[in-house]
Amino acid sequence: MEGVFLIAALTSILSVFLICLFLFVNGIPGMAKIGVFNFLLGTEWAPTDTPASFGIFPMILGSLYVTAGAIIIGVSIGLFTAIFLAKFCPERIHRVLKPAVDILAGIPSVVYGFFGIVVMVPFVRTYFGGSGSSILTASVLLGIMILPTIIGVAESAIRAVPENYYEGALALGATHERGVFFAVLPAATSGIMAGVVLGIGRAIGETMAVILVAGNQARMPTGVLGGIRTLTANIVLEMGYAADLHREALIATGVVLFVFILMINLLFSLLKRRQAR
Amino acid sequence: MTKNILIAFPVACAIMIGMIGCNEPLAFDKKREISVVTREAGSGTRGAFVELTGILVKVDGKKTDNTTKEALTIDGTQAVMSNVGGNEYAIGYISLGSLNASVKAISVNGVTPSAATVKDATYPIARPFNIAVKDSVSPLSQDFINFILSDAGQKVVEENGYVSVVQGNTYEPTKLSGKIVIAGSSSVSPVMEKLKEAYLALNPNVEIEIQTNDSSAGMVAAKEGTCDIGMASRELKESEATDLRAIVIARDGIAIVVNNKNPLKNITMATLREVYMGAIRSWEAVVE
Repeated sequence: MEGVFLIAALTSILSVFLICLFLFVNGIPGMAKIGVFNFLLGTEWAPTDTPASFGIFPMILGSLYVTAGAIIIGVSIGLFTAIFLAKFCPERIHRVLKPAVDILAGIPSVVYGFFGIVVMVPFVRTYFGGSGSSILTASVLLGIMILPTIIGVAESAIRAVPENYYEGALALGATHERGVFFAVLPAATSGIMAGVVLGIGRAIGETMAVILVAGNQARMPTGVLGGIRTLTANIVLEMGYAADLHREALIATGVVLFVFILMINLLFSLLKRRQAR
Repeated sequence: MTKNILIAFPVACAIMIGMIGCNEPLAFDKKREISVVTREAGSGTRGAFVELTGILVKVDGKKTDNTTKEALTIDGTQAVMSNVGGNEYAIGYISLGSLNASVKAISVNGVTPSAATVKDATYPIARPFNIAVKDSVSPLSQDFINFILSDAGQKVVEENGYVSVVQGNTYEPTKLSGKIVIAGSSSVSPVMEKLKEAYLALNPNVEIEIQTNDSSAGMVAAKEGTCDIGMASRELKESEATDLRAIVIARDGIAIVVNNKNPLKNITMATLREVYMGAIRSWEAVVE
């Protein structure tokens, strides 16, 4: 019986290993052909031109900008929601609010994208100008999408703080708010940070919703109302039609994305370990 | 506390609903910026479009696609239509055969895009639909190709809004049996499905499987022999043409589409080029 469990456990490890292997074997030669610096820092993406240019710096920036925007929106709303859920919310409301947040996590990303394209894009176009497909729209949409991740992890981090921290604060004459914000919250910091990092991971890897609302222009960002193409969007948009070096460049884009995700996961486990200690 | 929440919730709902309600489009404002919509690099439709409009500039063996970097990049004909259909200030291009009422096709140089104008070559933006086979073709696949290029097959092409390319070939059913696998471009597959139906009506013992992915995948499959016939909505690349033989089965116009609220009816080729190259940024210069 133990063998069955072992095989099950090895399947996931094997998958990760195979994906790593596939990405690096297929992606590295392409990157070498283009030149690592030309590839990572090049600002021109014109795969169908002759000679072609394969610079993914605009897409790297695109992913970072959109993720940063999502974090600004997602963390500010998510953190307050988590504090509210853990420390302020009456049980009656918690019973409604918590499942609502969980539903948000279960909505497929293409549905978020559809909401974005039907509601948010025209809204931004009408009231802010531009075409509506922009960094702003994508950030807000992603911010909403990462809410459940941040709320879930942050709430359990806050709840994990021993009750005597809060009671001690009250005993020293602090109000409820002061006790929560200055005694409980600092103790939960590393747990909350872990939630934020997990949110970053989700935001940077999100594809479908972003493609629908970000405009996907492969050029350096021009402002919050201008569009942008992310790394994930670059792969999905062009994979279907790509051939030869173009295809290799897209797989190499996947390698860059994969390295980003690895770094984020590493950061996450470091934070987790610190929290455990 | 509870009371605050009871007030806050309806307020939040009202804001949300207000946001959705406020999306009522205003009247068409000529001063607004044009939202140029293009397809992703490598798409057959984009390749044909930039080549036919002269946006692709060839100098000394160098080819540069000068589509403006500000263009919204959207994958798929349907996605372009829903984007243009939802944005009063957008302009895009799609396969003429896929055109429907959700968007408005405009004339180019005064010529309305239609099967008739593509056929007599007055409509300037048209491209071939190719199938590609290896040099050694099985008798069954050859029979299907004969059917496609016959008058009966070309009639199917015309009935579906595309333009026929050859005339005068007759086809006699050979009553062969077996299986044909066809793979490739999603632009070509709708008409291929119709050709399949018509062919199977004449040859009931044949089985035809159509795998829809994209031009490049279709060419790779044909080259590697995982399919008998590949479909491409573009000319074959040099690396593909060494192993494969291309046969034009139909022609398709590329329609320039705008939102139904846009008053624009006609665009000159020169203006279209400038819009797509980013020289014209506002509708003022395009709409009279």
